[in-house]
Amino acid sequence: MSAFEYAPQERLLRALAEQLKLPLVQIARQSELGPASQPVLSSIGYTADMAIRLIDSYLLSVQVQGQAVFDLEPVSVASMLQDVAHQLSPLAADYRLDLQLSLGGSYAPVMANRYSLESAYTMLGYAMIEAQASNERRQLVLLGAHRRAGGVVAGVFAEHEGLTADIFRRARALYGHARQPMTAAASSAGAGIFVADTLLHAMNAPLRVAHHHKMAGLAATLLPSQQLQII
Amino acid sequence: MADILLIEPDRILTRIYCAYLRERGHIVTAAFGAQAAVQELDMHKPDVVVLEMQLAGHNGIEFLYELRSYPDWQDIPVVLHTMVLLESLKLSADLLRAMGVTQYLYKPATLLHHLEEVVNEVVVPRNSYNARGLVKPRLVEHTDALRPAQT
Repeated sequence: MSAFEYAPQERLLRALAEQLKLPLVQIARQSELGPASQPVLSSIGYTADMAIRLIDSYLLSVQVQGQAVFDLEPVSVASMLQDVAHQLSPLAADYRLDLQLSLGGSYAPVMANRYSLESAYTMLGYAMIEAQASNERRQLVLLGAHRRAGGVVAGVFAEHEGLTADIFRRARALYGHARQPMTAAASSAGAGIFVADTLLHAMNAPLRVAHHHKMAGLAATLLPSQQLQII
Repeated sequence: MADILLIEPDRILTRIYCAYLRERGHIVTAAFGAQAAVQELDMHKPDVVVLEMQLAGHNGIEFLYELRSYPDWQDIPVVLHTMVLLESLKLSADLLRAMGVTQYLYKPATLLHHLEEVVNEVVVPRNSYNARGLVKPRLVEHTDALRPAQT
Protein backbone atom coordinates (compact mmCIF):
# COMPACT_ATOMS: atom_id res chain seq x y z
CA MET A 1 0.00 0.00 0.00
CA SER A 2 1.52 3.35 -0.95
CA ALA A 3 1.62 6.24 1.48
CA PHE A 4 -1.11 8.02 -0.44
CA GLU A 5 -3.62 5.25 0.16
CA TYR A 6 -3.66 5.75 3.93
CA ALA A 7 -6.44 7.79 5.51
CA PRO A 8 -5.32 11.23 6.80
CA GLN A 9 -5.49 10.10 10.43
CA GLU A 10 -3.42 7.02 9.67
CA ARG A 11 -0.84 9.11 7.87
CA LEU A 12 -0.69 11.51 10.80
CA LEU A 13 -0.31 8.61 13.20
CA ARG A 14 2.50 7.13 11.12
CA ALA A 15 4.26 10.49 11.00
CA LEU A 16 3.81 10.86 14.75
CA ALA A 17 5.15 7.37 15.34
CA GLU A 18 8.28 8.10 13.31
CA GLN A 19 8.76 11.39 15.11
CA LEU A 20 8.39 9.85 18.57
CA LYS A 21 11.42 7.67 17.96
CA LEU A 22 13.75 10.64 18.13
CA PRO A 23 13.01 11.81 21.69
CA LEU A 24 13.00 8.22 22.84
CA VAL A 25 16.43 7.63 21.33
CA GLN A 26 17.61 10.82 23.03
CA ILE A 27 16.31 9.57 26.37
CA ALA A 28 17.79 6.11 25.92
CA ARG A 29 21.23 7.36 24.91
CA GLN A 30 21.31 10.07 27.59
CA SER A 31 20.61 7.42 30.19
CA GLU A 32 23.81 5.68 29.09
CA LEU A 33 25.91 8.73 29.89
CA GLY A 34 25.27 8.41 33.59
CA PRO A 35 27.38 6.22 35.88
CA ALA A 36 26.80 2.49 35.47
CA SER A 37 26.19 2.22 39.18
CA GLN A 38 22.85 3.98 38.89
CA PRO A 39 20.28 1.29 38.06
CA VAL A 40 17.56 3.88 37.58
CA LEU A 41 19.38 5.12 34.49
CA SER A 42 19.51 1.60 33.05
CA SER A 43 15.80 1.30 33.72
CA ILE A 44 15.18 4.52 31.82
CA GLY A 45 17.19 3.15 28.92
CA TYR A 46 15.28 -0.17 28.78
CA THR A 47 11.95 1.59 28.98
CA ALA A 48 12.82 3.95 26.16
CA ASP A 49 14.25 1.13 24.05
CA MET A 50 11.10 -0.94 24.47
CA ALA A 51 8.95 2.04 23.54
CA ILE A 52 11.02 2.44 20.38
CA ARG A 53 10.48 -1.25 19.63
CA LEU A 54 6.72 -0.78 20.09
CA ILE A 55 6.71 2.10 17.63
CA ASP A 56 8.78 0.16 15.10
CA SER A 57 6.50 -2.86 15.48
CA TYR A 58 3.43 -0.66 14.98
CA LEU A 59 4.94 0.84 11.81
CA LEU A 60 5.77 -2.65 10.60
CA SER A 61 2.23 -3.83 11.31
CA VAL A 62 0.83 -0.96 9.21
CA GLN A 63 3.24 -1.82 6.43
CA VAL A 64 2.43 -5.55 6.38
CA GLN A 65 -1.29 -4.91 6.22
CA GLY A 66 -0.83 -3.42 2.80
CA GLN A 67 1.48 -6.13 1.52
CA ALA A 68 0.17 -8.94 -0.64
CA VAL A 69 3.41 -10.89 -0.37
CA PHE A 70 5.50 -11.48 2.71
CA ASP A 71 9.18 -12.37 2.66
CA LEU A 72 9.26 -15.77 4.35
CA GLU A 73 12.21 -17.79 5.62
CA PRO A 74 12.69 -20.84 7.84
CA VAL A 75 12.64 -19.67 11.44
CA SER A 76 13.52 -21.69 14.48
CA VAL A 77 10.80 -21.05 17.04
CA ALA A 78 13.11 -21.96 19.90
CA SER A 79 15.84 -19.62 18.71
CA MET A 80 13.35 -16.82 18.12
CA LEU A 81 11.81 -17.17 21.59
CA GLN A 82 15.27 -17.22 23.15
CA ASP A 83 16.11 -13.94 21.42
CA VAL A 84 12.81 -12.48 22.61
CA ALA A 85 13.51 -13.63 26.18
CA HIS A 86 16.91 -11.97 26.00
CA GLN A 87 15.34 -8.69 24.95
CA LEU A 88 12.60 -8.83 27.57
CA SER A 89 14.76 -9.93 30.52
CA PRO A 90 15.82 -6.43 31.62
CA LEU A 91 12.23 -5.26 31.44
CA ALA A 92 10.95 -8.23 33.43
CA ALA A 93 13.62 -7.57 36.07
CA ASP A 94 12.53 -3.94 36.23
CA TYR A 95 8.95 -5.02 36.79
CA ARG A 96 10.13 -7.59 39.36
CA LEU A 97 8.74 -10.51 37.40
CA ASP A 98 10.25 -13.89 36.65
CA LEU A 99 10.57 -14.49 32.94
CA GLN A 100 11.13 -18.07 31.85
CA LEU A 101 11.39 -20.06 28.66
CA SER A 102 9.47 -23.29 28.30
CA LEU A 103 10.18 -24.96 25.01
CA GLY A 104 9.46 -28.64 25.69
CA GLY A 105 11.61 -30.14 22.98
CA SER A 106 12.72 -29.23 19.50
CA TYR A 107 10.56 -28.12 16.63
CA ALA A 108 10.89 -28.05 12.89
CA PRO A 109 11.49 -24.59 11.45
CA VAL A 110 8.39 -22.62 10.56
CA MET A 111 8.09 -20.49 7.45
CA ALA A 112 7.70 -16.92 8.66
CA ASN A 113 9.11 -13.45 8.37
CA ARG A 114 11.72 -13.56 11.10
CA TYR A 115 11.75 -9.85 11.87
CA SER A 116 7.94 -9.66 12.06
CA LEU A 117 7.71 -12.82 14.16
CA GLU A 118 10.30 -11.61 16.64
CA SER A 119 8.70 -8.15 16.79
CA ALA A 120 5.29 -9.73 17.42
CA TYR A 121 6.47 -11.90 20.30
CA THR A 122 8.54 -9.11 21.81
CA MET A 123 5.54 -6.81 21.81
CA LEU A 124 3.29 -9.57 23.15
CA GLY A 125 5.78 -10.23 25.93
CA TYR A 126 6.09 -6.53 26.69
CA ALA A 127 2.32 -6.15 27.02
CA MET A 128 1.97 -9.27 29.16
CA ILE A 129 4.80 -8.21 31.48
CA GLU A 130 3.20 -4.83 31.89
CA ALA A 131 -0.19 -6.45 32.55
CA GLN A 132 1.22 -8.70 35.27
CA ALA A 133 2.93 -5.88 37.08
CA SER A 134 -0.35 -4.71 38.59
CA ASN A 135 -0.45 -7.80 40.79
CA GLU A 136 1.12 -7.41 44.20
CA ARG A 137 2.93 -10.73 44.48
CA ARG A 138 5.88 -11.63 42.28
CA GLN A 139 4.56 -13.10 39.07
CA LEU A 140 5.86 -15.53 36.48
CA VAL A 141 5.69 -14.82 32.76
CA LEU A 142 6.43 -17.72 30.46
CA LEU A 143 7.54 -17.72 26.84
CA GLY A 144 6.30 -21.12 25.89
CA ALA A 145 5.94 -23.44 22.93
CA HIS A 146 4.34 -26.83 22.58
CA ARG A 147 3.12 -29.07 19.78
CA ARG A 148 -0.48 -29.31 18.76
CA ALA A 149 -2.05 -31.03 15.80
CA GLY A 150 -0.85 -29.17 12.74
CA GLY A 151 1.63 -26.88 14.27
CA VAL A 152 3.65 -25.30 17.04
CA VAL A 153 1.73 -23.23 19.53
CA ALA A 154 4.01 -20.45 20.70
CA GLY A 155 2.96 -17.69 23.00
CA VAL A 156 3.31 -15.74 26.20
CA PHE A 157 1.61 -17.08 29.31
CA ALA A 158 1.18 -15.78 32.82
CA GLU A 159 -0.19 -16.58 36.23
CA HIS A 160 -3.26 -14.49 36.05
CA GLU A 161 -6.93 -15.06 35.81
CA GLY A 162 -9.26 -13.07 33.72
CA LEU A 163 -8.03 -13.73 30.22
CA THR A 164 -10.61 -15.72 28.31
CA ALA A 165 -11.39 -16.17 24.66
CA ASP A 166 -14.51 -14.04 25.08
CA ILE A 167 -12.59 -11.20 26.70
CA PHE A 168 -9.98 -11.28 23.95
CA ARG A 169 -12.63 -11.31 21.23
CA ARG A 170 -14.24 -8.24 22.76
CA ALA A 171 -10.87 -6.56 23.19
CA ARG A 172 -10.16 -6.97 19.48
CA ALA A 173 -13.33 -5.01 18.77
CA LEU A 174 -12.59 -2.37 21.40
CA TYR A 175 -8.94 -1.42 20.93
CA GLY A 176 -8.52 2.06 19.52
CA HIS A 177 -12.00 2.91 20.82
CA ALA A 178 -11.64 2.13 24.51
CA ARG A 179 -8.75 3.24 26.70
CA GLN A 180 -8.72 -0.20 28.34
CA PRO A 181 -9.96 -2.83 25.92
CA MET A 182 -9.15 -5.70 28.34
CA THR A 183 -9.89 -4.36 31.81
CA ALA A 184 -10.15 -7.86 33.27
CA ALA A 185 -6.61 -8.67 32.21
CA ALA A 186 -4.68 -5.44 31.81
CA SER A 187 -4.78 -1.91 33.14
CA SER A 188 -3.26 -0.30 30.05
CA ALA A 189 -4.29 -0.06 26.41
CA GLY A 190 -2.35 -3.25 25.71
CA ALA A 191 -1.32 -1.96 22.31
CA GLY A 192 1.53 -4.43 22.12
CA ILE A 193 -0.97 -7.28 22.02
CA PHE A 194 -2.85 -5.83 19.06
CA VAL A 195 0.32 -4.93 17.21
CA ALA A 196 1.45 -8.54 17.70
CA ASP A 197 -1.95 -9.78 16.55
CA THR A 198 -1.74 -7.71 13.37
CA LEU A 199 1.75 -8.96 12.57
CA LEU A 200 0.84 -12.59 13.25
CA HIS A 201 -2.43 -12.28 11.38
CA ALA A 202 -0.45 -11.20 8.31
CA MET A 203 1.35 -14.54 8.59
CA ASN A 204 -1.97 -16.43 8.91
CA ALA A 205 -1.31 -17.10 12.57
CA PRO A 206 -3.60 -14.83 14.59
CA LEU A 207 -3.40 -14.77 18.34
CA ARG A 208 -5.85 -16.70 20.45
CA VAL A 209 -6.20 -17.54 24.11
CA ALA A 210 -4.23 -20.68 24.91
CA HIS A 211 -2.83 -22.56 27.86
CA HIS A 212 0.65 -23.81 28.64
CA HIS A 213 1.51 -25.65 31.86
CA LYS A 214 -1.80 -24.55 33.36
CA MET A 215 -1.04 -20.92 32.63
CA ALA A 216 -3.27 -18.86 30.38
CA GLY A 217 -1.98 -16.54 27.76
CA LEU A 218 -2.02 -15.55 24.12
CA ALA A 219 -0.43 -17.71 21.47
CA ALA A 220 -0.27 -18.32 17.75
CA THR A 221 -0.15 -21.63 15.92
CA LEU A 222 2.85 -21.62 13.61
CA LEU A 223 3.04 -24.16 10.83
CA PRO A 224 6.30 -26.05 10.30
CA SER A 225 7.62 -26.03 6.77
CA GLN A 226 6.68 -29.29 5.07
CA GLN A 227 9.50 -28.91 2.55
CA LEU A 228 12.11 -28.46 5.25
CA GLN A 229 10.84 -31.54 7.06
CA ILE A 230 11.47 -33.62 3.96
CA ILE A 231 15.07 -32.40 3.69
CA MET B 1 41.69 6.26 19.31
CA ALA B 2 39.87 7.39 16.16
CA ASP B 3 39.39 10.66 14.37
CA ILE B 4 35.68 10.67 13.66
CA LEU B 5 33.53 12.88 11.47
CA LEU B 6 30.05 12.56 12.93
CA ILE B 7 27.28 13.63 10.56
CA GLU B 8 24.20 13.89 12.77
CA PRO B 9 21.37 16.40 12.30
CA ASP B 10 20.03 16.25 15.85
CA ARG B 11 21.98 18.49 18.22
CA ILE B 12 21.02 16.61 21.36
CA LEU B 13 22.17 13.30 19.95
CA THR B 14 25.30 15.02 18.62
CA ARG B 15 26.09 16.25 22.11
CA ILE B 16 25.56 12.77 23.55
CA TYR B 17 27.69 10.96 21.00
CA CYS B 18 30.45 13.57 21.15
CA ALA B 19 30.54 13.48 24.96
CA TYR B 20 30.71 9.69 25.04
CA LEU B 21 33.31 9.26 22.32
CA ARG B 22 35.56 12.14 23.45
CA GLU B 23 35.52 10.82 26.99
CA ARG B 24 37.00 7.66 25.56
CA GLY B 25 39.81 9.46 23.80
CA HIS B 26 38.44 9.85 20.30
CA ILE B 27 38.61 13.03 18.29
CA VAL B 28 35.13 13.92 17.11
CA THR B 29 34.16 16.60 14.60
CA ALA B 30 30.45 17.12 14.27
CA ALA B 31 28.59 18.23 11.16
CA PHE B 32 24.84 18.72 11.09
CA GLY B 33 24.43 18.26 7.36
CA ALA B 34 26.03 17.03 4.16
CA GLN B 35 27.32 20.42 3.10
CA ALA B 36 28.92 21.11 6.48
CA ALA B 37 30.44 17.63 6.38
CA VAL B 38 32.07 18.29 3.00
CA GLN B 39 33.48 21.55 4.33
CA GLU B 40 34.95 19.69 7.32
CA LEU B 41 36.45 17.06 5.01
CA ASP B 42 38.08 19.83 2.97
CA MET B 43 39.88 20.98 6.09
CA HIS B 44 40.62 17.70 7.73
CA LYS B 45 40.53 14.04 6.70
CA PRO B 46 39.04 11.79 9.39
CA ASP B 47 39.67 8.10 10.03
CA VAL B 48 35.99 7.28 9.73
CA VAL B 49 32.68 8.94 8.90
CA VAL B 50 29.64 8.10 11.03
CA LEU B 51 26.67 9.03 8.90
CA GLU B 52 22.93 9.51 9.48
CA MET B 53 21.02 9.04 6.22
CA GLN B 54 18.16 11.34 7.12
CA LEU B 55 19.67 14.80 6.80
CA ALA B 56 18.13 18.16 6.06
CA GLY B 57 18.89 19.36 2.55
CA HIS B 58 21.17 16.85 0.84
CA ASN B 59 20.58 13.37 2.23
CA GLY B 60 23.08 10.70 3.21
CA ILE B 61 23.06 9.03 -0.21
CA GLU B 62 23.93 12.28 -1.94
CA PHE B 63 26.70 12.83 0.58
CA LEU B 64 28.09 9.35 -0.12
CA TYR B 65 28.19 10.00 -3.85
CA GLU B 66 29.94 13.32 -3.18
CA LEU B 67 32.39 11.66 -0.81
CA ARG B 68 33.32 8.98 -3.34
CA SER B 69 33.73 11.44 -6.16
CA TYR B 70 36.98 12.74 -4.67
CA PRO B 71 40.11 10.57 -5.01
CA ASP B 72 41.49 11.73 -1.67
CA TRP B 73 38.41 10.48 0.18
CA GLN B 74 38.04 7.07 -1.46
CA ASP B 75 39.54 5.20 1.45
CA ILE B 76 37.56 6.77 4.29
CA PRO B 77 35.31 4.07 5.77
CA VAL B 78 31.71 5.02 6.44
CA VAL B 79 29.56 3.66 9.22
CA LEU B 80 25.87 4.18 8.58
CA HIS B 81 24.33 5.06 11.93
CA THR B 82 20.78 5.88 11.00
CA MET B 83 17.15 6.06 12.07
CA VAL B 84 16.22 4.33 8.81
CA LEU B 85 15.77 0.57 8.91
CA LEU B 86 18.00 -1.26 6.44
CA GLU B 87 14.94 -2.75 4.72
CA SER B 88 13.52 0.75 4.26
CA LEU B 89 16.68 2.07 2.66
CA LYS B 90 15.83 0.06 -0.44
CA LEU B 91 19.50 -0.11 -1.32
CA SER B 92 21.27 -3.38 -1.85
CA ALA B 93 24.13 -4.41 0.38
CA ASP B 94 26.32 -4.48 -2.74
CA LEU B 95 25.53 -0.87 -3.58
CA LEU B 96 26.18 0.27 -0.04
CA ARG B 97 29.42 -1.66 0.01
CA ALA B 98 30.38 -0.14 -3.33
CA MET B 99 29.86 3.29 -1.77
CA GLY B 100 32.27 2.38 0.97
CA VAL B 101 29.77 1.66 3.71
CA THR B 102 31.44 -0.86 5.95
CA GLN B 103 28.82 -1.20 8.66
CA TYR B 104 25.16 -0.44 9.12
CA LEU B 105 23.79 0.41 12.56
CA TYR B 106 20.14 1.03 13.32
CA LYS B 107 20.45 4.03 15.61
CA PRO B 108 17.52 3.35 17.98
CA ALA B 109 18.89 -0.10 18.72
CA THR B 110 22.57 0.82 18.99
CA LEU B 111 24.00 1.43 22.42
CA LEU B 112 26.78 3.98 22.80
CA HIS B 113 29.46 1.42 23.59
CA HIS B 114 28.48 -0.60 20.56
CA LEU B 115 28.89 2.42 18.30
CA GLU B 116 32.36 2.88 19.70
CA GLU B 117 33.20 -0.80 19.19
CA VAL B 118 32.16 -0.60 15.55
CA VAL B 119 34.16 2.59 15.01
CA ASN B 120 37.22 0.92 16.52
CA GLU B 121 36.73 -2.09 14.25
CA VAL B 122 36.58 -0.15 11.01
CA VAL B 123 39.24 2.45 11.72
CA VAL B 124 42.71 1.83 10.35
CA PRO B 125 45.23 1.56 13.17
CA ARG B 126 47.49 4.61 13.08
CA ASN B 127 50.60 2.42 12.89
CA SER B 128 49.34 0.34 9.97
CA TYR B 129 51.05 1.08 6.60
CA ASN B 130 51.37 -0.68 3.26
CA ALA B 131 54.66 -1.06 1.34
CA ARG B 132 54.60 2.51 0.07
CA GLY B 133 54.15 3.88 3.56
CA LEU B 134 50.53 4.87 2.97
CA VAL B 135 47.72 3.98 5.32
CA LYS B 136 45.73 1.07 3.87
CA PRO B 137 42.09 0.90 4.94
CA ARG B 138 40.98 -2.27 6.72
CA LEU B 139 37.45 -2.61 5.48
CA VAL B 140 34.97 -5.01 6.94
CA GLU B 141 33.77 -6.58 3.72
CA HIS B 142 31.19 -9.18 4.53
CA THR B 143 27.44 -9.18 4.06
CA ASP B 144 26.73 -9.37 7.77
CA ALA B 145 28.30 -5.97 8.17
CA LEU B 146 25.32 -4.49 6.37
CA ARG B 147 22.66 -6.08 8.58
CA PRO B 148 21.47 -4.31 11.72
CA ALA B 149 24.06 -5.20 14.29
CA GLN B 150 22.81 -7.04 17.35
CA THR B 151 23.04 -4.93 20.48
